[in-house]
Amino acid sequence: MKRSLAVLFCIFALFSSLFAGGSKEAASGDVTLTVLWFNDANESDVFMDTMQDYLEANPNVKIDLQVIAFGDYEQKLKMMISGGNPPDVARLTTSHVPILASSLEPIDPYLEDPAATKAEFMPSMLAFALDKEGQMLAYPTEATANGMIVNLTAWENAGIDVRELSKTWTWDEWEEAVKQVIAANEGMKYGLAVDYTIHRFATLLYEFGGSFMNEDQTAFDMVKEENINAINYFKHLHDEGLVPESVWLGSENPTELFQAGLVACHIGGSWNINTYNTNVKDFEWTVVSTPKGEINSSVPGGKFIGAFKDGKHKEAAMDLMAWFSDKAHNEKYCLDTFNLSSRADAEIAYPTNSEEFAVFQHDLSVTPAFTAVEWGNAKVTQLSTFMVEQIVQVLLGNQTAEEACQAIQARAES
Amino acid sequence: MKKLTKGDEHIRVKTKGNFHQTLAPMLFLLPNMIIFLLFIIIPLFQGLRMAFMDWGIFSVPEFIGLKNFGNLFKDDVFLITIKNTIVYSFFTVVLLTVVSLCLALMLSRNSMKGERVFRAIFYIPSLLSMIAVGIAWRFILGDEMGIINYVVRRLGGDGIPWLTNGNLAMMCVIVVSVWASSGYYMIMFISGLQAIPSDLYEAARIDGSSAWNTFWRITLPLLKSTVLVVLVLATIASFKAYELIVTMTKGGPGYATKFIVQQVYQVAFQEDRMGYASAMSIILMIIIGIFTLVQFRIAGKDGQYD
Repeated sequence: MKRSLAVLFCIFALFSSLFAGGSKEAASGDVTLTVLWFNDANESDVFMDTMQDYLEANPNVKIDLQVIAFGDYEQKLKMMISGGNPPDVARLTTSHVPILASSLEPIDPYLEDPAATKAEFMPSMLAFALDKEGQMLAYPTEATANGMIVNLTAWENAGIDVRELSKTWTWDEWEEAVKQVIAANEGMKYGLAVDYTIHRFATLLYEFGGSFMNEDQTAFDMVKEENINAINYFKHLHDEGLVPESVWLGSENPTELFQAGLVACHIGGSWNINTYNTNVKDFEWTVVSTPKGEINSSVPGGKFIGAFKDGKHKEAAMDLMAWFSDKAHNEKYCLDTFNLSSRADAEIAYPTNSEEFAVFQHDLSVTPAFTAVEWGNAKVTQLSTFMVEQIVQVLLGNQTAEEACQAIQARAES
Repeated sequence: MKKLTKGDEHIRVKTKGNFHQTLAPMLFLLPNMIIFLLFIIIPLFQGLRMAFMDWGIFSVPEFIGLKNFGNLFKDDVFLITIKNTIVYSFFTVVLLTVVSLCLALMLSRNSMKGERVFRAIFYIPSLLSMIAVGIAWRFILGDEMGIINYVVRRLGGDGIPWLTNGNLAMMCVIVVSVWASSGYYMIMFISGLQAIPSDLYEAARIDGSSAWNTFWRITLPLLKSTVLVVLVLATIASFKAYELIVTMTKGGPGYATKFIVQQVYQVAFQEDRMGYASAMSIILMIIIGIFTLVQFRIAGKDGQYD
């Protein structure tokens, strides 16, 4: 009997100790900020490095950085929020901000001069971060742009000056040229790899004059000629063998295909610069403007940091975010992660790849403003996988592009 | 029912007041029961309730009756995932049972040299995370970057569209599932085989029974309970297949290898339709329940599976 009671007491003591941490922290005035993060490359390391002086200036603050694989990130974050236990700060994408808008703590009340702070950021990036009342819900950190990355060595082997040609090229001209590139390079099999996401496909969609929403951005509007043309052109590229089927039908990684020298071009984004700097050793590459369809367009995007209404240390979280987003820290972070800054006043001298960054910046500058608004709409993100599936059905020949657009429209209205 | 004797009553009276035999076991079970209640029972009823709601993860639930269930049967993608799941489960369960039983028959006699090493080799894949298995096999079967197609092309072939052809992709997913799990079920069969008294085999040998006859007349009937357990466990696991499929094919090409659980995840966490996804989960639970009952009925109709 005594032994059993002793064991039960030990179990009770163990459970008690599990819940004893919080009160100790409150008494000492120490704050541990939980920061939820995902990595495209080395961002979490650079974040901690950038925040080093903040931690030295605030010895009572500690950062508990939790790095989650991007594939699990959104679900984890949503579960934490719906469970009433959100992180203090989280790294967010353009698609996260509208989905989580009702849970994000508005930043304006914590700012001395909200208008002045907002003016520090690029308007296209700030647009993603504002709620309906115009309050800032998150600090923009990096800007991203979709664009075309080319195997420069392969194009040179074909005797084509791709930098010059790309200044004015159309998709027809690109198609003609890339066939020469494939023919001139042994081992090169394809002209173009496009990431298996609706965000990257949107580059083509916008170039063909299409859009997900109607003109005043009030409702989904998929069934239109421009969208159908974009999907049909994508199918044409597959049917011609210019795009590898293994990416959209077989889930192979287009980045790996590009790195292996199997494709001449890759529609990726500015975040690929860091990856290719590290991984591509066998050939030279560069970024060029995407061929022109009806218009020239990129797809704007970016990363943000935000705090939550149910966060336990909102004041400290706001302080940390403001510190991380100021000019000096943002420049350091973007320099070390090879990202475009989302600040209007950033002056970053990248040690390499300044030419590539300039092309992305240029493509962003000619991108229609409505594209940013579309990607700020939660519906576009929610239907992203369904839209990809419908396009794949077209590539497989199971339905027409028009039927795909109708199916997407029907799902959006359901 | 056995009638209590005077001695039995004495035992019962003694047990009634004994802390060690009554309250203590319950208290020790309590943490596990609390966890079971919190993470299984309550979510189950929560899921049932959600299936009748129109509910996004951050929105207020609204009762809509059976609308989610009505919509499910008009949802082409859901119906495709049900068909895919049943096809995958049927072939996976049959192959898993046959392959793991064959492996167990070969490796349970303690007569072959290196038998334990082979057991370990066949068991190791079942220790691996299905995510790791899926990624590894994608590297092996990939159309452009896959090892097999690399070898095929080096030998002058065109490469085989393992994961970009719908039928081949389904076949690959089934074969990899069998490869990854057969070791686990092999161990169950080995323990079942080793529990069969050896004198039965000795008697069969003296009577001149062939190996084939011995298998059908002695081994299989006495292994019936293990076969049933393997069938039930493999069926439940195959209906819940997710990690392997997502990492290997992402459900593609198109919907060719998309199963119910992946669709539930997509609808719940990407499309933010938690109520609709709950209705799908309820249908999945009912399907698994029906299959399990059928297996119990077929395998245990003569009451020999205990």
